[in-house]
Formats: sequence, structure tokens, C-alpha cells
Amino acid sequence: MKKRTIFLSISLALMILLSACAKPASPTDQAPVAGTEEEVLLVWDQFYRDEESKVIETLNAEFEAAHPGVRIQREVKVLDDLRTTVKLALTKPDGPDVAQVNQGRNDMGALVEAGLLLPLNSYLNQYNWGTVFSTSVASRNSFTEDGKTFGTGNLYGVSPTAEVVGVFYNKGIFNKNGWDVPTTFEDFEALLAEIKAAGITPISFGSLDGWNAIHEFSAIQHLLVSLDYINNLTYGVNNVSFDTPENRQAAQILLDWANAGYFSDGFPGIGYDDSNNLFKAGNGAMTITGSWLAPELMVDTDQEFGFFLLPPYEGQTGLAIGGVGIPFAIRKTSEKQELAAEYLNWMISPRAAELWAEAGMLPAMALPEDSKLETKNLFGDTLNAWNTINQANAVGHYIDWATPTFYDTLVAELQKLLGGISTPANFTEAVEADYAAYLQSQSK
Amino acid sequence: MANVTKKYPGESRWKGWWYLLPALLVYLLFTFLPILETIRSSFYQWDGFSQNKVWIGLANYVELFSDPKFHNALRNNLIFVIFYSLIPILIGLFLASMLSRRPIPGFAFFRTALFLPQVISMVVVGVIWRWMFNPTFGPINSLLRQIGLDVFAISWLGDFTWALPAVGSIGTWVQYGFCMVLFLAGMQHIQDEYYEAASLDGANAFKQFIHITVPGLRSEIAVALVTTIIAALRVFDLVYTTTRGGPGETTMVTGFLIYRAAFTNNRIGYAAAIATVLTLIILIISLFIRRYQQQGSEEST
Repeated sequence: MKKRTIFLSISLALMILLSACAKPASPTDQAPVAGTEEEVLLVWDQFYRDEESKVIETLNAEFEAAHPGVRIQREVKVLDDLRTTVKLALTKPDGPDVAQVNQGRNDMGALVEAGLLLPLNSYLNQYNWGTVFSTSVASRNSFTEDGKTFGTGNLYGVSPTAEVVGVFYNKGIFNKNGWDVPTTFEDFEALLAEIKAAGITPISFGSLDGWNAIHEFSAIQHLLVSLDYINNLTYGVNNVSFDTPENRQAAQILLDWANAGYFSDGFPGIGYDDSNNLFKAGNGAMTITGSWLAPELMVDTDQEFGFFLLPPYEGQTGLAIGGVGIPFAIRKTSEKQELAAEYLNWMISPRAAELWAEAGMLPAMALPEDSKLETKNLFGDTLNAWNTINQANAVGHYIDWATPTFYDTLVAELQKLLGGISTPANFTEAVEADYAAYLQSQSK
Repeated sequence: MANVTKKYPGESRWKGWWYLLPALLVYLLFTFLPILETIRSSFYQWDGFSQNKVWIGLANYVELFSDPKFHNALRNNLIFVIFYSLIPILIGLFLASMLSRRPIPGFAFFRTALFLPQVISMVVVGVIWRWMFNPTFGPINSLLRQIGLDVFAISWLGDFTWALPAVGSIGTWVQYGFCMVLFLAGMQHIQDEYYEAASLDGANAFKQFIHITVPGLRSEIAVALVTTIIAALRVFDLVYTTTRGGPGETTMVTGFLIYRAAFTNNRIGYAAAIATVLTLIILIISLFIRRYQQQGSEEST
């Protein structure tokens, strides 16, 4: 009797363990819940900050109201979390129907290669998305079917928000000292010297986290190169090199600024958020970063801020780093693809544009014509900047998309450059080594 | 002989093994199988989610051993051993001998206070020290400036020379309390007679420490060595929350390389190869220390 009890309990334990290891039940095994015809759309997004989250909640509620019987089950994750979990989740039959998938080769490219994302070309026609976003925007969310070539082929995602990297400035400090927003790069550099001479930190910046140093460098680089070059570099076509006089010059300018003390004291030991908090508290006349900072600078502060594009060299039109935010994509094996596409269309509607703008975020789509939105503020400045580069066809790229390891390489090499360990020539050579190795691995 | 065991009083012995089974199953399922799976993955090229899993034999290992990033990371791990293991053990020995030999008022308070860093989550420790080291508003540089040492008020975590010692010293701060408590417990087993005899022979406090306390703590020191060296070799969270391997690659460690390969570069096979090599290194070092400890205890008996 005793023996049998032991044996039974062990078998039971084994069964539980084995069933836990077994493959998850396929959707056909799950009987529909009796009495409800409710259709559930599972959506993963990364809009976790309060004001962003409210926009999504509102849009979801309005979507449910317009689609009786549909319920949206939302899961919010921080971007790093989303990136590490969404890949595996998209392989599951009960994974998210719609998920935000980061652009670039390591994320969207790898998922396309694995055949996990639904091509959206038919919906592009059905919903006329060609009138909502430009081909330049579409190419940022496009890959060839094998996931190898970036920027062309099928559309795999739609982005609700837009971003542009430029200069935030403290209006109070500018007014008090009688400084004007510079219109040429020459003026900008003169202003940096003037601010420094007045005993104020010209550019609030910290490179401890690394990634924002890419923006500081690349914002200058964008003023020196052509759109073709930036496109070729980012999408890995036409065999361009990183080791060019323009890139070396941009690195030299960045280094000169560091040596002239234009950045925050001790900037190599200051993190991105800390440097922004210092700027928000009134330490530093300017900071160079993306428009995503605007909502934060519009609340909980007694300072007033403005935004302008890093001005181009005299007589030239400069590019600016810009693009669209992380796109929504559809799981290829989802059984609710039509509904999911409708949801995507909802997320890039004029209504969505209005809600994003109210939250201080740049929408990727045009605002409704009758919009009564207040634009005489920081948000209006970023909107102007975004419209300016769009109309001038001067929207550049985040260059860290160029190769799977470009981000790590750029961060390490820029820290070496700014730390005085290497020279601008060392910098462009080291980054070119990464780039050339990648191009070679692709051509095999 | 066989007859004797058969007639032995009491129930048969094999039944006892059943009691091990639940724990054994859990161990197999959650520790042993994942280790085997990691080793197996290290022979593949795999992104971690697609069907596309290609057997490439030892290619990951060949690449690993010629990868300068891995060499650099491993060297940094060894430097971390100094900060995570050697210095904390020395501090621990010193504090333990201070606290154990004569009654000190508030002994329990000191013991708890000094042990406290050990119980704080590593992520919290990282965030706290990132603030402490902040060049603009961190208390370390504020203090240095106030006492006139402005030249030393550098940007610690962003400095190519000082970032590694700075992150390492956070490890020291975390580990020394553990060593101290371990040694305090060990010292209670050393009989007072030894010290009495030694002082009658004219040995001073330092000689007593070297010839009685340290040999008496042989097994505690071995335990402290093993645990702190393992902590130094697999450090990840502290680097992730403070410097992310920067500036340049000066604080890059193998744990961070594994994370980067697996989760940002989609190279599960390569990450598994690094993890396997790291595990082997840790195993060898642990065995080596145990061997030394056993040899020592044989000698002393």
C-alpha cells in the first residue's frame, strides 16, 4: 500500500513535469468559450510612458467601439524587453497577432528571414497607405523576402510616430544673453564659443550610455554628406565606404567641440537621462537629441525650451537624422490577419495623428486639416523641423542600422575618439573595418 | 557474504533513493538539461527563433579563441577577480579579526551594517554607484572638491584608466561583508588555548594572526575564494547597469559578451560557446581551489 502511494505520487509528478514540457496546444485544440462570440486581438507594444500609453489606450477603446465583438488584449513592454521576447513569441501559434518590431537587420530583418512576419503589400493598396506615408518612410520598414536586403522589397510594418534629431535650446538662457537661433553651421559654432565664454555649458551631453554619442556624431555627419550616401551606407548598397574625408571631418568637429569644453564637464561619466535632467533643470544652453524628448521638456519644469535643426553650412541644404518610430507588424501565422491589418490602419489614422500630437509626440502621418492644435510651443518647433526636412527631402538615417554590429562598434569607437584614445582617422578606419566585413559577408 | 547482507535487520536500503527522486528530477530538468542544451547549441549557427539551425561543429569555438573582444573581456574578468575576491578577503580577514578577538560595544550592529551591501540587489547597487560616481552631482566628486582635491574629481565611469577599477571597487564593496561574516563564523572554531599559548611564547597580535587565525580559517578562505571568484567571472548586472562595457571596451566582460551575442546580435550558438568556455574555466578554478584546500587539511592532520 505504502509502496503504491509513493509510486503513484511519483508518476503523477512525472506526468505534470512532462506535460509542462510538452508543446503548447495548437489553436484547434482550444474550444471556443461558450456563449461569447468575442474576437480577441493580442497586441504587444512598447509605449509604456504615461502620456504615450494614454494615446494607445484611447485608440484601442475607440477601435473596440467601432468593431463590436472585438476585444484588444494589450501587453506593454519596455523596448529592451520587447526586443528580447517578441522574436520567440512570434513563432508561437498563440503569440501576439500584432506587435511592434524594431527596425533594422537584427530585428525586423531577422524576423523576415525566419518567415515570421506578414508582408503588407496588399493592405498598402487596399488602405491606400501610399497617401499616408512616403516611399522613403516605407523603405525604412521594408525588406526583401529573404530578409537580406534592407530598404526595398516588401513592406512589413507601419509606424505611427516620427522622429527628428536636432537641437533643443533653453529660451530663457538665450533671451537673457541676447542670443538668436543660428541659421548657418558657421554661426552655430560661433555661438558655441560665445556661450562657453559666458561661463555656460553650451551642449548638455553625457556619453556614458554610448548610444547618444552616435547621434551627436551623425548629426554633424549629415550636414557634410549627400542623401544618396546616407541611403547607400544604411541599406548596404553600392559599396560605399565609411572611411571618407566627410566622416573624418565630422569626427574632427565632434572632437574639437569636446576639447573646447563645449560639452558638460565630465561628460564621459554622465548618462543620457542624467544629462537630460541637468538640461531640463537649466544647466546648459542646448542639447542635441531626438524630438522624442519634447513631451518630457513640456511638463514639470519652470524653464521654456525650443527646438531647431542643426543648421547647415552656408549656402547648402543639410540633412537631418530622422525617421519613423518603431512600426507595428503582423504575425504571419495569425488567424486574424484582416482584423490585424484594420488595427494597423487605425494606428496610422488622422485621429491617431491628432492624439499623438496632443501628447507632444510627432505623428508620422499628417494632422487633420481642421486640427485646432496649439503649435506655438516646443511641439510646434519639432513639427516645423519635421515638415521642413520632409519637404526638402532631407530625412537622413540612424546609421547604426547599417550592419548587425554597427551600433556596438560605433559606441565603442566614439568613446575612444572622445576619450583621446584614438584619432578621427583611427575612428573612420575602425568603423569601416566593421562595415567592409559586413558587405563581404553579404556578397558571399 | 551475500547471505549476510540479505539477512541484515531493517528494511532494504534502495528505498532511500526514492526520496532523492523529486529533487533529482528538478535538478535534471532545470539545471542539467539546460547545461547540456547550451553545450549542444554551441555547435550550431542559430538565431534563437527560426527553424534555420545549422550544425557547424567547432566553428564557434575557433572564432571565439581568435576573437580579440573575447581575450579583452576575459582579461577584464581576471582583473575583476582582484576586486571581487582578493581585496574583499583581505578586508574581511582584517575586519573579522578586529571584531572577534575582543568584545566591542555594538558588535551586532557593525556586523549587520558591514554585511548590508551583500543583501542589496546588484541592479540597485549599480544604480546607486552610478549616481555616487556621477562627475557633476555625485557625492564622491563633491567631497573631493570640498577637500581641495579637484584634480581627482574625474569622470570615474567614463575614464579609460579608472572605469575598470571604479566598477571593480563596487564589487569589493559588495563582497567584503560576506567574507567577513564567513571568517567571523570560522574564528569561533579556533580554540582560545592556541592564542594563549602563543602569547605566552611572546608572539604579538600580527604573528598570532598569521600563524593561528589564517591557517585556522583555511576552509573558510577556500569557500570565500570559490564564491567570490565565480562572482567575478560571471559578473554581468553590475557592468550592464553602470558602463555597458564602456568606455570603448575597457569594462567589457564575458557575461556581457554573452548577452550581446544572444540578444542583440541573434547569435545563440556563439553565445552558448562563450558560456560553455566560461563554465569550464570556473569549474577548473573551483576544482583547483578545492584540491588545495583538501591537501591543506591532510597536512594539518
